[in-house]
Amino acid sequence: MNFKKYFNQQNTFILIGLVIALVIPQAFKSSQYVMLLITTVLLYAILASAWNIIGGMAGQLDLAAAAYLGLGAFTTGTLLIQWNITPWVGMFLGGLIAMGLAILIGFPLFGFKVKELWYAISSSALVVVLQSLFMMWNEVGGPTEKYLPSGSSPWYSLRFNTYVPYYYIMVTILVVVILINRWIRYSKLGYSLLALGEDEDAVEVLGVNSQLSKLKALAIYAFICGVVGGLYACIYGYVHPAFFDTSMSMEITILGIVGGMGFIYGPAMAAIVMVSFREFLRASLGSQLAGLYLAVYAIILIVVALFQPRGIAPLFERGLKKIQTYFAELKRGHKADA
Amino acid sequence: MLEIKNLNSGYAKVSVLRNVTFHVNQDETVAIIGPNGAGKSTLLKTISGLVRAQSGDITFENNNILGLSPDLVVRRGLAYVPEGGRIFPNMTVLDNLLMGAYSNPGILKSGILEEIFTLFPILKNRSEKFARTLSGGERQMLAIGRGLVSRPKLIMLDEPSLGVAPKLIDEIYEKIHALKRFGLTVLLVEQNTGYALELADRGYVIENGQIVMEGAATDLSTSEHIKKFYLGL
Repeated sequence: MNFKKYFNQQNTFILIGLVIALVIPQAFKSSQYVMLLITTVLLYAILASAWNIIGGMAGQLDLAAAAYLGLGAFTTGTLLIQWNITPWVGMFLGGLIAMGLAILIGFPLFGFKVKELWYAISSSALVVVLQSLFMMWNEVGGPTEKYLPSGSSPWYSLRFNTYVPYYYIMVTILVVVILINRWIRYSKLGYSLLALGEDEDAVEVLGVNSQLSKLKALAIYAFICGVVGGLYACIYGYVHPAFFDTSMSMEITILGIVGGMGFIYGPAMAAIVMVSFREFLRASLGSQLAGLYLAVYAIILIVVALFQPRGIAPLFERGLKKIQTYFAELKRGHKADA
Repeated sequence: MLEIKNLNSGYAKVSVLRNVTFHVNQDETVAIIGPNGAGKSTLLKTISGLVRAQSGDITFENNNILGLSPDLVVRRGLAYVPEGGRIFPNMTVLDNLLMGAYSNPGILKSGILEEIFTLFPILKNRSEKFARTLSGGERQMLAIGRGLVSRPKLIMLDEPSLGVAPKLIDEIYEKIHALKRFGLTVLLVEQNTGYALELADRGYVIENGQIVMEGAATDLSTSEHIKKFYLGL
């Protein structure tokens, strides 16, 4: 096992990514539209990476990302609107509330071994149920948008008149989420998740409490979604029950699958490639025929599913290996010359 | 060591096992034979906790283990190798084996992996390969090896000859025989009656969810009933 080498290779990846990430706002500062777009791409990258824990590793087809995202948004929004509590606290509490609900839902679901399609349906129902609830709950939600106050200090209320600070916060969260992914992947929990994703009965007779493992994965995923939800509310400046969006949940799941189930960088890469591409299509085709960009986007997804059923991450990994062997040969060649 | 008394078990409202009573002594190899659908697999699944018993008693080393979840049963020292092996195809052979140490990773320091590699050299050669690339016989060996990693006191094998090329069944059974050297008690469930009775010390015959015969393996293999219905002699 050459874990060490693998880690180093990933570290170089992260470093290159970070340098690019730091430079991007300098290049696009002038266009708020582009900055919002990039921030949105990062949001999807974070959510898809979080989904990788419950979906990619544990193999649970979770469709409730928007439910946890919405809970985080409403927690943060309500705390700021009604008690002027900073979103920094709100985001954290939002994460905790999302995690609490996830455990509440996950305990019976995993206890009764609800899985595959049935788990997908149940989790997606959660989004719809919460949307209806918040639509009726006028103090917090309701049919009209509740706007977040700007307050005196932008860093206290997390309300900026530019998207650049949001962008940096998103990059930070994305790095943290990827590190969490990597930590879980090579931990005991990660092994149990990967194995139970393949064969749940077999993993239980080896001494894994699969219910507990899945619950942990779900809790971590929900927490991340909740935290990002808080930031989401700040970026858009309001909260509305439409945040509980089934199609968004669906899209995060698709990105997780297209990225490559269980590959640490897969979902983030898929989000960056696919969401940017979707937005590019929306911008370039949107004026010609409404919905055309979605059709093209869908065709691309189908092509990926057909030719890369294991996702795009293995493709990148193969490419990387080629570059590595090229450099290794180059090195060897130099030695031979000397 | 393992005692089952008046066990009734099944799925939802369908009763599969009716008043099953048997025991396994320390250092013994016991075979449970019977036709397809007799309830052999259900019996092992019930003992390992995958299927919930409706009534009865299961005691292991004088502790009641009835109603424990599978992960707790295996922590008591009772390993179960399910039918068909149920290995993790998209994990490497080594990772499959490491999963066997899940409940007690410290056990790896005791050199258990080397012992397993001595028993199954093929697993050592294939250790970095994905388990999906293994043949039927190799998969079965991997499954048994994975069951051994936790150093169980008793190992339950469900149809180890299933899906294995006839040539390789001999080899698998030699390995199971070698398990005795590990100081293991073996509870074996088999449709392949000839092999099972040759290996076992004692045997039970299960039909329609009930134990219909029991005795020393040699006595069973010479009984008329077994000869006629199971060995086809």
